[in-house]
Amino acid sequence: MYRKKIFILIAVVMLFSLILSACEPERIVETVVETVIETVVVEGETVEVVVEREVEVEVLRDKEVLIYNSYASDPAPREADAEIVEMFMDEFPQYDVIHSTIFHEDFKQAIRAYLTASTPPDVLTWFAGERARFFIDNDQIMDISDVWESEGWLEDYPAGFRALSSVGGNQYFLPTSWYWWAVYYRVSVFEDLGIEPPTTWDEFIEVCETLKANDIIPITIGTKYRWTTGAWFDYLNMRINGPEFHIDLMLGKESYEDERVLAVFDAWRDLLENDYFLEDAAAYSWSEALEPFITGEAGMYLMGDFIRDSLPPDVIDDLDFFRFPIMDPNVPIGEDAPTDGYFIAANSQNPEAAKAFLAYLGSVEAQTYNAEKLGRLPTHTGVDRSMFNEAQQKGLALIDGADYVAQFYDRDTRPEVADMGMNVFMEFWDNPGDTARLTQLLAELDAYRIEVFGLE
Amino acid sequence: MVRLRRNFLPFLFLAIPILIYIVWVIGPMFYTFYLSLTNWDGLTTPTFIGFRNYQRLFNDSVFFLSLTNNMKWLVSFVTIPVVLGLGLAMILNRAIPGEKIFKMSFYLPMVLAMVVSGLIWGWMYHPRGGLINNVLVGIGLLERGPGWLSDRSLALWSIIIVAIWRQVGYVMVLYLAGLKSINPEFLEAAKIDGANDWKVFQKVLMPLLMPVTVIVLVISVIDSLRAFDLVSVMTRGGPANASSVLANYLYIQAFNNYRMGYAAAIAVILFLISLVFIFIYLWQVMKNELEY
Amino acid sequence: MKNARAYFNSPWRVLIFIVLLVMTLLWLVPILTGLITSIRTFNDILYRGFISWPEEVTLRNFRTAWERGGLSHYLPNSFIITLPSLFLTLLFSSLGAYALARFKFKANRVIFFTFVGGMMLPFQVLMLPVFKLTDFLGLYDTYWGLIFFHTAFQLGFCTFMLRNYMRTVPGEILEAARIDGCSEVRIWWRIMLPLTLPAIAAVATLEFTWIFNDYLWAIILLRSDRLKPITAGLASLQGQFVTDWPVIVAGALVGTLPTLLVFLFLQRYFIEGLTLGATK
Repeated sequence: MYRKKIFILIAVVMLFSLILSACEPERIVETVVETVIETVVVEGETVEVVVEREVEVEVLRDKEVLIYNSYASDPAPREADAEIVEMFMDEFPQYDVIHSTIFHEDFKQAIRAYLTASTPPDVLTWFAGERARFFIDNDQIMDISDVWESEGWLEDYPAGFRALSSVGGNQYFLPTSWYWWAVYYRVSVFEDLGIEPPTTWDEFIEVCETLKANDIIPITIGTKYRWTTGAWFDYLNMRINGPEFHIDLMLGKESYEDERVLAVFDAWRDLLENDYFLEDAAAYSWSEALEPFITGEAGMYLMGDFIRDSLPPDVIDDLDFFRFPIMDPNVPIGEDAPTDGYFIAANSQNPEAAKAFLAYLGSVEAQTYNAEKLGRLPTHTGVDRSMFNEAQQKGLALIDGADYVAQFYDRDTRPEVADMGMNVFMEFWDNPGDTARLTQLLAELDAYRIEVFGLE
Repeated sequence: MVRLRRNFLPFLFLAIPILIYIVWVIGPMFYTFYLSLTNWDGLTTPTFIGFRNYQRLFNDSVFFLSLTNNMKWLVSFVTIPVVLGLGLAMILNRAIPGEKIFKMSFYLPMVLAMVVSGLIWGWMYHPRGGLINNVLVGIGLLERGPGWLSDRSLALWSIIIVAIWRQVGYVMVLYLAGLKSINPEFLEAAKIDGANDWKVFQKVLMPLLMPVTVIVLVISVIDSLRAFDLVSVMTRGGPANASSVLANYLYIQAFNNYRMGYAAAIAVILFLISLVFIFIYLWQVMKNELEY
Repeated sequence: MKNARAYFNSPWRVLIFIVLLVMTLLWLVPILTGLITSIRTFNDILYRGFISWPEEVTLRNFRTAWERGGLSHYLPNSFIITLPSLFLTLLFSSLGAYALARFKFKANRVIFFTFVGGMMLPFQVLMLPVFKLTDFLGLYDTYWGLIFFHTAFQLGFCTFMLRNYMRTVPGEILEAARIDGCSEVRIWWRIMLPLTLPAIAAVATLEFTWIFNDYLWAIILLRSDRLKPITAGLASLQGQFVTDWPVIVAGALVGTLPTLLVFLFLQRYFIEGLTLGATK
């Protein structure tokens, strides 16, 4: 009796799962223009006339299914993303987009599994630069030069972005938005203490001291997922040694044991040993570390503009930013301005649908929506700049005023090296005074750099 | 026992199970051995590189760090839960009021998914809002609670505590069953002979419980080597590999850095270490068999 | 109360009881913490400290986890994956166990020990090949990929347990059936299985919990969010509601409900299952 019950239960469940897995795609109704030859009597004579009639025929055609995976997991981008998908499906009802949003950090890990599966997602969000380059070189990304041409992007997208997306004259990537990095601060906190946004390193240290003296955490940061430490490395390196050295280091052409790199850690050590950072930073993700920033217990946060996505409106009103302070006026100014975009998997099962979706994503309509909703900077020159808000204008000016634009630590160098590098930063953060250990770590990192870049 | 009437009949019964087992378990195991000798990156076809991966492992400080962490886990697992579990089993072996509730409370953690345990404990460890730091600061013991999962010296132990919290109930149940199967006459005889409680425990109970103890020890060792879920959910092996264990390091190498061959080598090492204990387990099972 | 008086016959006993009580309370703290957290709001906890009387008590976190957190499809997924796996593994292992228990043939010992040894394998040693195999069979990112794997991997434990139990069934019953001309399959179905029911129930309870609680394989063999079981779903919940711990904890509690209910109502089988193979 017991057995029978279990049997029935199992049978029901298995039936249920079978039904679920065989979900039928939606059907659509199409209007078809039919050409009909009719016989008409004209002036007593029977004449054959060709007539075109619009007939609504129920052409039960399956909707084309498109799999779209996105890493936009923070609340605001997640919503905007869903909206864009809706807008696309409204305009092109013959497509059915299966949209999955995966937690940002998990996506970065899972992407290779996505691409190598026999049914990969058709369209994926991804980073421009070295990270995309890797997949392009391994034939995992579909050539979309035809889309670039047919959509007119070769003219409408600035040369820089075109170069970023091309390898060997063909385009593989669609860059759609980018944002700047800066030191964000609470205007009210600064005002209360009579602090001016600093422009030089000495001024910056002074600001930190003032905040600290008034029981405010000078700089908040969440290093649980490590990449926030990369920002500090990037900026310290670019300010002290210049963007050219920084990029060469990213491309494996310079050594991590170089004394210029040690200088970066020296400056970093100063900040850490003076307790300018949030304590136990490693316990918090970047957005968890926003807590003290929101409550006014912390004054500054080195972060990308997407910081707005996770802030309540009253804090956004109280938000402003300044360029990472200059340490050496003779050194060219480098900034991190990561570019995000999309690509189509090389093994996509439905390239036509994917290309249609991509065309939409790169259009003025979609980009204007994103720029308005999220405050990102669009890549399409057709987007009306006059509608940019104050922050966007200021951010644009910030980047325009830079001599060189980098993508970000873990996007400019090989992922394995970035992984190890960020672990070095984390260990250093935990015990900055242990110079012997740092030397050892940098030696190991450099050995790995040589191995990965195939320089031995 | 039936002598074979038809030679192939048992194989008919065993055909499907064995087939499935070979395809999904045994086969993959050998394929991993092969993979460890290649430099497969998950995308291109694997190329044979001999023992190169093992050589690299030898020089990999994170590998040794992970191994050390596993050892710390192992030592913790074969001592604390065993002592606590045995103690609890002995106390709860008598008719004690509230017996059922006590037993259930200790066994409950085992029922929760590791992910669930990891999340709830992760919350308890939260530096600002979590229970533990709120209590420590509240009773004035500390001015500021430490970052349990962010401090490199605390992270691993914080996770091991969760693992122990789960394991104690399991060990307790095993020992309870073991105690129940002991003929009370043995204990009576010892008592009549004038032995005190401690001597009874030492000379009579422990030897009788030896089979259970072997099982408990083996399972504890194997589980400490396999540990993955808690580390993955609570710290991902961080901060900076401080809480990295072999299973987690392997996963990161395989699915984060796509060094599949390298990951396979780590898996093989893990397997070889486990093999020793698997044999001990099989030996114990065989002993039980023969006594049949 | 008679129990109590009989028990507390010495001061030692009282002391032990107190220690036991304290330990039990300590052990239950995480669960209690979870319950308390899930009915408060994050702001409340952060600003007034965890040890404070809640300003407001709400069930909103559960609703958020269910609707926005996706628990409404993660939870059914767990069942869709667990129940077929459970059924299939019990089916095949009871077949195999019967053969191993009641027939004498040369390979018997070897096959048996292979199943037992496989039980103890560190599953990481299977990770990559199984991933590739599942993809090769076209089962990547499907329920069946995961179901097949669980069926296969749990065969070791189930075969071991059931075979041991089947050995204790008196042989005369089976002999009598054979003499009556019953085929082996009928004997298995009509006689052996009903007699083995206690062991099957015990193993089923344990297996349900283990398969339901699996995390590693769910994240390796599945990609789509709509197929994920609750364990993988909770992990991504952590990513989605990064600063909203009460929602995460509420989700975790909901996710643990099925196994908790199974445990509470089928406790006896649970414990039997654990001890079946550990002692004679």
